[in-house]
Amino acid sequence: MDDKYGSNVISGGKLGRVEVPNDRLTKYIVLLCVTKLLKALGIFESYDLLKVVHIVQFLFILKLGCAVILVFFQKPFSSGKVISKRQWIKIFKHAVISCVISLLGFFGLTLCGPLRTLLLFEHSDLVVISLLSVLFTSYGGGPSKTRGAAFFIIAVICLLLFDNDDLMAKMAEHPEGHHDSALTHALYTGIAFLGVADHKGGVVLLVLALCLRVGFNTASRKLSVEIGGAKRLYALSNLVSSLVLLPWVLVLSVTTESKVESWSALLFPFSMIIFSVMILDFYVDSICAAKMEAPRCARYSSIFLFLSGLLLANFWTHPLTDQLRAMSKPGQQTSTEHVLSGGVLVSAAFFIMSDNILSSPSKKGQKGTLVGYSPEGTPLYNFMGDALQHTSQSLPRFIKESLKQILEEYDSRQIFYFLCLNLAFTFVELFYGVWTNSLGLISDGFHMLFDCSALVLGLFAALMTRWKATRIYSYGYGRVEILSGFINGLFLMVIAFFVFVESITRLIDPPNINTDMLTPVSIGGLIVNLVGICAFSHAHSHGSSKSSCTGHDHGHSHHGHGHGEHGHGGHGHSHGGHGHTHGHGHSHGSGGGGMNANMRGVFLHVLADTLGSVGVIISTILIRQFGWLIADPICSLFIASLIFLSVIPLLKDACEVLLLRTPPEHEKDLNIALEKIQKIEGVLSYRDPHFWRHSASVVAGTIHLQLMSDVVEQRIIQQVTAVFKDAGVNNLSVQVEKEAYFQHMSGLSTGFHEVLAMTQQMESMKYYKDGTCIM
Amino acid sequence: MLPLSIKDDEYKPAKLNLLVKISGWFRSILADKTSRNLFFFLCLNLSFAFVELLYGIWSNSLGLISDSFHMFFDCTALLAGLAASVISRWRSNDSFSYGYVRAEVLAGFVNGLFLIFTAFFIFSEGVERALEPPDVHHERLLPVSIAGLLVNLVGIFVFQHGGHGHSHGGEGHGHSHSLFNGSVGHGHSHGGHGHSHGGHEHGHEHGHGHGHSHEEPHCHDEHSYSPAKGSSKQILQGVFLHIVADTLGSIGVIISAILMQKYDLMIADPICSMLISILIGVSVVPLLRESIGILMQRTPPSLDHALPECYQRVQQLQGVYNLQEPHFWTLCTDVYIGTLKLLVAPDADARWILSQTHNIFTQAGVRQLYVQIDIAAM
Repeated sequence: MDDKYGSNVISGGKLGRVEVPNDRLTKYIVLLCVTKLLKALGIFESYDLLKVVHIVQFLFILKLGCAVILVFFQKPFSSGKVISKRQWIKIFKHAVISCVISLLGFFGLTLCGPLRTLLLFEHSDLVVISLLSVLFTSYGGGPSKTRGAAFFIIAVICLLLFDNDDLMAKMAEHPEGHHDSALTHALYTGIAFLGVADHKGGVVLLVLALCLRVGFNTASRKLSVEIGGAKRLYALSNLVSSLVLLPWVLVLSVTTESKVESWSALLFPFSMIIFSVMILDFYVDSICAAKMEAPRCARYSSIFLFLSGLLLANFWTHPLTDQLRAMSKPGQQTSTEHVLSGGVLVSAAFFIMSDNILSSPSKKGQKGTLVGYSPEGTPLYNFMGDALQHTSQSLPRFIKESLKQILEEYDSRQIFYFLCLNLAFTFVELFYGVWTNSLGLISDGFHMLFDCSALVLGLFAALMTRWKATRIYSYGYGRVEILSGFINGLFLMVIAFFVFVESITRLIDPPNINTDMLTPVSIGGLIVNLVGICAFSHAHSHGSSKSSCTGHDHGHSHHGHGHGEHGHGGHGHSHGGHGHTHGHGHSHGSGGGGMNANMRGVFLHVLADTLGSVGVIISTILIRQFGWLIADPICSLFIASLIFLSVIPLLKDACEVLLLRTPPEHEKDLNIALEKIQKIEGVLSYRDPHFWRHSASVVAGTIHLQLMSDVVEQRIIQQVTAVFKDAGVNNLSVQVEKEAYFQHMSGLSTGFHEVLAMTQQMESMKYYKDGTCIM
Repeated sequence: MLPLSIKDDEYKPAKLNLLVKISGWFRSILADKTSRNLFFFLCLNLSFAFVELLYGIWSNSLGLISDSFHMFFDCTALLAGLAASVISRWRSNDSFSYGYVRAEVLAGFVNGLFLIFTAFFIFSEGVERALEPPDVHHERLLPVSIAGLLVNLVGIFVFQHGGHGHSHGGEGHGHSHSLFNGSVGHGHSHGGHGHSHGGHEHGHEHGHGHGHSHEEPHCHDEHSYSPAKGSSKQILQGVFLHIVADTLGSIGVIISAILMQKYDLMIADPICSMLISILIGVSVVPLLRESIGILMQRTPPSLDHALPECYQRVQQLQGVYNLQEPHFWTLCTDVYIGTLKLLVAPDADARWILSQTHNIFTQAGVRQLYVQIDIAAM
C-alpha cells in the first residue's frame, strides 16, 4: 500500500512519468482493443434491436441479464460488509439515475445511429472532465488542452452542421402516432420544441447525457468506496434498476402489443449485447485502469472504439455482413439511414485528436533546458522559468504570431498577399471546375496550386531569414533566402526544360486544342499574375530605396568610426575619406542590383507564369483567327527560352554566394582595404584572407595578421576591423600572430627541431624588419 | 594604374583558344578517376539517348522520342556531377578565396533537388494514372526499359568501384592548393607595398612571403587530404542516387510490363511508379539535409558534441575571460573552419592562449581556425 502510494505521488507530482515496461502492457492493450471492438459491435447490434424492441423493454432486459450474471459472479450479498439502510437508499438513487442516463443514451442511439453515438457518448470521464475544466475554469492546463477542447467542440459542431445525415428527412416522415410510448413521445416533442431535426436533437441529447454520466460517475465514486468496490456497486445497482424498471415494463407489455415475432430469435443478440456492452467492457476497463495509467487507458480505448466504429459503419450495411447477421433479422427495411458522410469522418478525426490531446497527462517540468556546462564539465540544466510552464505551443497563437511576423516586413507581406490572391483564384477555378465538371479547369487549378508551392517556399524563407542565430546555425538563417532563390531558380529551369520538350513534341505533331475555355481562364490568370508583377516590382524598387537608405546610415556611422580611428591611425586622412565616399557609392549600387535572392526567385516565377498566360492568349487568338495550330508550340518554345534566360543570372549569383565567392560588389573595396592594412604600422603581412557573403546583410571575413612583436595588438585589431567595416565586412575575425605561429606549430605537435629552426629564422627576420622600420 | 587590374588580366583566360580550353577540360576530366568514370558513363548515357531519339524519329514513335528527352534530362545530373568534379579542382583565386571545393556540395544538392522534382512528377503522374488507367501499349516498352536497365547497372557497378580511387587521387590536389595559396599571399604583398613604400620593402616582403609558403604546408596539408574524400562522397552520393533511381524506374517498368502482359493488371503501372517515387524521395532526403546544412553554414554535426567541451577547455585557460561569437562551419566534407573571439585579461599571455586554443580545436578536428584575441578593458 505504501509503495503504491509512493508511486502515485511520483506520477501525481509530475516529477516524471513512471514508465511501465511496454511488453507487459501490450497484453492489456490488445485486450482493450478486442473489448472495444466487441463493444462497438454490440452498440451496432443494439441499434438494430432497438428498431423492433421498445426502449424500456430493451433496457430492462439488459439490466436484468447483467444483474443476474454479475450477482452470480460477484456474490454481492454473501461477501463484503453488510449494507445499511441508508446505503440501500443511496444505491436506489444511483440505480434510478443510471437508468435515466442509459435511457437517454439509448434514445440518442435510436436517433443518431450507432456510429454517431459511439463518437459522442463513449468518451472516458477523464477526457470530459479535462474538457469541462478547460471550458469553465481558469486553469485549463495550458494551450494544448485548449486546443483539444477546441477540437472537441469543432467535432460536435461538425456532427451538428455538416453531417447531412437527415437527408432522408425523417422529420416529414414520422407522424405522431408512430411513437410507441409516452416517454418517446415526450422526448420527441421536446426535441421538436427545440427546433432542430431529430438527428441533431439526438446529438444534443447525447452530449447532455455524456455530461450527466460523467457527473454521475464522479459522484458515485464515494458510494462505491462505501459499498466496498465498484464492482459490487455495479452489480447491486443493476439489480435495483431492473427492479425499478420492472413495473413499467409490465405496464407496457400489457398496454401495447409487441412488434417482436419471436423472442427466442432475439436471445443471441441480447446475450451478446449484455456480454459485450455491459459486462466485458466494465471488467476490462477496470482492469486496464488498474494496470495502466488512467490517461493512457482512456486514450487507447477511445481511439480503438472510434476506429472500430468507423470500420463497422463502413461494413454494417454491406451485403456480406447482412448474411452474417441473418439470424437477428431485425427488419426488412434497407438501412440506408445513418450512412457515413464527410461530416462524420471529419468529426471522427477531430474526436480522435481531441481525445488524444485531452487524455494525455500534462508534462510539466519533465525536462529542463541545457544551459551549459559547469567548470567540472557536467551539464547544467535549467528547470526554472519557462521550462516548467513549457507545453506545446498553442496552434492559434502560433498562427497569430507567424501572421504578425509575416506582416511585419515588406517582402513577406507582399508574398503573403499575393499568395492569398493566387490561392483564392485557384480555389475559385477548382470549384468552378468541379461544378461544371470540366477536367481542364481542374487540372489547371492543380497546376496553379503547384505554382503556389514556389510562393510558399519564398514566404517560408522570408520568415526563416529572420530567425535568430542558434548554437547550431551560428551565423543565423540568412542563407535560407539564397537557398530558396536557388531552389526557385532551379525549379523554373526544370519547368522550362519540360515545356521545351513538350513543345518540341508538339511541333512535330501539333495536337488539336479546343480553345473555347482557354481564354477566360488564362485572362484571369494573367490579371492575377500582372498584379503580382506590379507588387513585386514595386517591392523591388521599394527594397532598393530602403536598402540605399540603410546604406546611407551605414556610411555615416562609419564615418564617425573612421574619425575615431584616425586619431591614432597616423595615415592619410584623405584615405579615410576616400573609403567613406566609396562605401557610400557602393551601397547604392548594391541596393539597386543586389535585391534579395528570394524575392528575385519569386518574382521570376510570377514573371514566368505571366509569360505563360500571355503566350496562351496569343496562341489562342492566332489559332482562332488564322487556324495556325503551330502557333502554340512556337509560343511555348519562345517562352521556355525566355524563362531560361531570365533565370540564369539569378542562378549564377546564388551559386557564387553558395560557393563562398568574395562578394563581387565589395571586391574592389576589399583589395583597397588589404592594401591599407599592409600599410598600417606594425603589420608584417597577412595570410588567408577570406571574405564571403553569408546572406544579404552579413558579409563575413577572416584574416591572419603577422605583427611585429612590439606593437599593441588591440590597436591593430581595431584598425583592421574598422578598415574592413568600411569595405563592407561586418562579421570579421582577425587572428594576430606575433611569432606565435611557432607556438602554434608546437601546439600542433610538430617536431622540436623544426620549431627551433623557424624561431631562428624568425629571429633574424625580426632584426631585419626592425632595421627597415627604423630606416 | 592599380596593380590589381593587371593581375585580373593574368587570371582572365584568353578568349581565342577555345580548342585549348576544351582540350584542357578534357585532360582535367581524364586526369581524375571520378570524373573519368562520370564522363564515360555520361557518354554511354548520351549515346543511348541519341540512339533512342534517332530510332524514335525514324520509326516515328512519340513514346521513344519523349523517353529519349527524359534520358537527356537524366544526363543533366551526370553533367552536374562531372562539372562539379572538374570545378572543385579549380584553384582558388582572389574571388574564390576558398577555392571551388564547395561545388561538390552544390552538385549534390542540385542532384538531390532534381531527384525530388522527378519523384514528385512521377508521383503525380502515377496518381493521375491510378484514377484512370490509360492504355499502355507494352510491345516496345520491354526492350527499351531492359536496355536502360543494363546501362544503369553498368553505372552502378562503375560508381561503386570508383569510390575508392578518388580518395587517393586527391593528394595531388591538396598539394597544389596549398602551394598556390602561398603564392597568392606573395602576390598580394607585392602589389600592396610596391605602391606605397617603394622597392626596398617590396623585396623584403617577398622574402617573407616565401617564408610563408614554406611554413604553410603543415597546416594546409592537414586540411587538404579531406577535400578529396569529400568530393568523392558528396558528388558520388548524388550521382549514385540518381542512377539507382533510374534503375529502380526501369525495374518498375519491367515488372509492370510483365504484370500487364501476363495478368492484364493495368493498375500495376501507376502503383509501381508511385512506390518508386516514394522510394526515391525517401532515399534523397538525407543527402539533401546534409548538403543544406553545409550550405547554410551549419555547425558540423560531427562536432556537435566535441565543441562544448572545447569551449570549456578554452575558457579554463589562464587569463581567458570569455569566449564570444564562436562560428564553426563545414567547407566541404570533413574540412571544418572555425572563428572565435576570446576576451582575455590585460596581463594574459596572448600567444600562449592562441597556441593552446589552436591546439584544443585541432584535436577536435577543426582544420582552419581564426582566433581573435580581444583584451578586456580594465
